[in-house]
Amino acid sequence: MADPDRHALGGPGVVLVVAYGVLALAATGRSVLQVLTNYEQAPLAYTLSAVAALVYLLATWCLIRGGRWVRVGTWACTFELAGVLIVGAASYLAPEAFPDKTVWSHLGQGYGFVPLVLPVLGLLWFRKVDRDALARDAQQATQSAAAPDATAG
Amino acid sequence: MTEGLTYVVVALACLLLAGSVYYAVRDRLMDDRLLAVAALLEVGLIILTVFGLSGLGRIEDPTEKATFASYLVSVPLIPIGTSLLTIKEKSRWAMGSMAVGAFAVAVMVARLQQIWNSHG
Repeated sequence: MADPDRHALGGPGVVLVVAYGVLALAATGRSVLQVLTNYEQAPLAYTLSAVAALVYLLATWCLIRGGRWVRVGTWACTFELAGVLIVGAASYLAPEAFPDKTVWSHLGQGYGFVPLVLPVLGLLWFRKVDRDALARDAQQATQSAAAPDATAG
Repeated sequence: MTEGLTYVVVALACLLLAGSVYYAVRDRLMDDRLLAVAALLEVGLIILTVFGLSGLGRIEDPTEKATFASYLVSVPLIPIGTSLLTIKEKSRWAMGSMAVGAFAVAVMVARLQQIWNSHG
């Protein structure tokens, strides 16, 4: 019972998987090509884009797998939220540091602010999955406590 | 990349989007009819990708080129991935995910055409 069943894919989770998957796909392909072909032009922006893309991939994976990946996914979403807020603010305050756009520039404006909204939804969803699993766990614990013979076999 | 094909693909994506929203509202699951629309969209996207990649040389700006190439390669994966998830998921949210996928396809194809036109 150390690892309760945390199914993250059912219900709203499937919509998040698609949204994260699309963002991960778009960001990964683009940043890989940018880093490979044109790294010198904007090293900071391209490195950030690549890191962001990898974390989107990680979050997508966590959403699909559920289970113990829920905790990893929570960290991934927190990282994304921090990234979009920090880089978003920095791109407004110091635009010269970002000659080329990243997913996180201007709070994800280039992607319809999706990068700003998704981590919040992701965090809410992971929290719900976690709470449901804990509630199920507690229920099972009280059930087996009420009927110890059943579990003792 | 011909503009006519882009219109057809975007129209198919919008049809799939509208159908998915309708199905989600009516609490229906994926069926053959909507899957056929997704398949048609997929065929259109593959043709678009072949066209686009063959004309990749005319886009000079490296950033735009990176965006164009990566979108072109990743966009045909979306209907396949979403359809698989949608068939497996047996709740109203399934059609919601199809709608998100269809919307993403429409936006990405429009962006592709925009890049293509700016280098014509």
